[in-house]
Amino acid sequence: MPVYNFKSMGVVPTAKDLVDIVLSKTQRQTPTVVHNGWAIQRIRQFYMRKVKHTQTTWHEKLSTILEDFPKVDDIHPFYSDLLNVLYDKDHYKLALGQLNAARGMIDKVSQDYVRLLKYGDSLYRCKALKRAALGRMCTIMKRQGPSLAYLEQVRQHMGRLPSIDPNTRSLLVCGYPNVGKSSFMNKVTRADVEVQPYAFTTKSLFVGHTDYKYLRWQVIDTPGILDRPLEERNTIEMQSITALAHLRAAVLYVMDISEQCGYTIKQQAALFQSIKPLFANKPVLIVANKTDVVALADLSAEDRALLDGVAAEAAKVSAGGFEGDKPGSNLIAMSTLTEEGVSVVKQIACDRLLASRVEIKLKSKRINEVGNRIHVAMPRIRDGTARPPIIPASVLAKKGLPPAAPRPTERDLQEAQGGAGVYNADLRKQYDLKDEAWRYDIMPEIADGHNVLDFVDPDIDARLEALEREEAAAAAEFEALDTGLADDHLSQAEWEDLHRIRERKKRIVADNRRKRAAADNTPRIPRTLDAPRSRTAERMKAELGALGLDA
Amino acid sequence: MAIRRPRRYHIYDSLPKLRLEKCWFCSSTCYPGHGVTFVRNDATVFRFCRSKCHKNFKMKRNPRKVKWTKAYRKLAGKDLAEDATFEMERKRNRPEKYDRELVHKAVGALKKVTAIRATREARLHTLRKSAARDAEKAADLRELEQSIHLIKAPGVLAREEEERLRESVEELQQTEAMQE
Repeated sequence: MPVYNFKSMGVVPTAKDLVDIVLSKTQRQTPTVVHNGWAIQRIRQFYMRKVKHTQTTWHEKLSTILEDFPKVDDIHPFYSDLLNVLYDKDHYKLALGQLNAARGMIDKVSQDYVRLLKYGDSLYRCKALKRAALGRMCTIMKRQGPSLAYLEQVRQHMGRLPSIDPNTRSLLVCGYPNVGKSSFMNKVTRADVEVQPYAFTTKSLFVGHTDYKYLRWQVIDTPGILDRPLEERNTIEMQSITALAHLRAAVLYVMDISEQCGYTIKQQAALFQSIKPLFANKPVLIVANKTDVVALADLSAEDRALLDGVAAEAAKVSAGGFEGDKPGSNLIAMSTLTEEGVSVVKQIACDRLLASRVEIKLKSKRINEVGNRIHVAMPRIRDGTARPPIIPASVLAKKGLPPAAPRPTERDLQEAQGGAGVYNADLRKQYDLKDEAWRYDIMPEIADGHNVLDFVDPDIDARLEALEREEAAAAAEFEALDTGLADDHLSQAEWEDLHRIRERKKRIVADNRRKRAAADNTPRIPRTLDAPRSRTAERMKAELGALGLDA
Repeated sequence: MAIRRPRRYHIYDSLPKLRLEKCWFCSSTCYPGHGVTFVRNDATVFRFCRSKCHKNFKMKRNPRKVKWTKAYRKLAGKDLAEDATFEMERKRNRPEKYDRELVHKAVGALKKVTAIRATREARLHTLRKSAARDAEKAADLRELEQSIHLIKAPGVLAREEEERLRESVEELQQTEAMQE
């Protein structure tokens, strides 16, 4: 269920402002130039557009206002009653109804005048029609001035209403004025409600939130209620009555037993009797406040009797009691000044509300969705054999023993040996090893560029042995193999010849490269100037001799 | 009776503090304090032993095509690829309970396995060379035959041939005479 967000309603302008807005919008968003000499159809279109545009703008603006405001019939009865109390439902509905009617009237006006414009025969006639149409629309809205003003005020007030979720867990604090409801609220929640010695300090409902058992609880502070018939109640009191009537909350009826608020215990009890019908099906707690002034035990007998009477009535009327409740268990003493009993009150109220909510949920149909999740399956009895739980004898033996003395923890050991920065914890103490001598071993992690851990294997012996056998066999095989790498295909003389051939080839290549590099660089020297005289007979003889010829 | 607490399982109950990793590119060892570790956005880790490998990686080169990497050499059959020695050295993910004897044996095995692997690699290289040897020999003979003219004139060659023939015939006659 959503929490109603009245803060997001748009501002309702006054009638005058609204008229200005709409007319200026039309002026800006439609063409403004028209000439006498244009075709009549074009002139008609021009003015029809103006009228229609104004009508649509009015329609939009009024629709947004009407949609923003909540329909009293469509919201939670608590809120509808609250709106009724604060703003008078009839007035509210009337105002919105008038706006609705105005919207319809504007549409009709526009329709009529557009029909007339279809037959306008001159620019002047069309213009006059348009003026009439717009004028009538604006007059209609000017008459709505009071409604708009009222709605704006309502909107401003609604935005400041406390955001109460009517369906979640709530604690409602009620009682006479000045008994200490707002003080209780301040103590239990973070709300900062004004606390003053005069009556009706709190003039409207206030919400605070608190936590209990990992859940969010709303605490609702109400204005004080006086003991009057319903018809005579003023708006402020009516708000409390509305809250009491419509919210399914735990009710904390606060009584001032010191009578400092100005009302006697008798009057407070009487009030309780008169508003008793509102407490049906709600867990009710009677809270006796201001016990720092007058303790519960110091009360006179008749006052005490009155209180007990109230408590008994509350027990009869309320829901969510625990079984075997003692008769006075919904009467609790507290003092908001000294804060004693405040948390007790909160705790008991929350527990009772939870219990009643669970009860209601169990009775509803929704339990079936969850029922299978909270069902504990027990096996069906199929034979007579007893199958008790098996508890080891050592556990049974220990059951009777006194609890063991606390062992010294590692932390204690650390502190004893110099504290956090000094002590080095022995992490190997608890290691489970086959041989104690290995406890403080330093294990090599790396050897020869390999990780030792990669070789650790339980069956390493077997594997190594297999490998070595394999290796021996492979080595023998390799020995027997003829690799053909021996250089036995050529004799010594042939090797020498081959060597000389290779030398010669290198020489030729080197000479060629030299010649090519110097190809065009050196000039041709005639033979007469050839100093080195490289072409000689000796040279020829030597070269041919090298080849084996006899020259 | 004190409550039995569960005892720690192993002497290295976490991973060892030091582990030598392999370079992603060239497969050599990345020693601590050297190289670069690159972690990609999909959490793949690339370790490089030196900037050479890192730069090659950044150039998007495929190590299987780069001649000097182990990946190439294994793929091309130039180095030992599958062998029992590789199985002995495998990263095991389930730690064993500490056993001093076992670790002692592991260190011994480490040395032996490395030695065996080295001999096996050497054997592989020898076999490769021998496979190429025949072609080499044939090439030598061909070169001798074709390029002999560079050091000996054709006439000289013919003469030497005659001489050699005469000598071999004489040898044959001698051996026949000795046998008789």
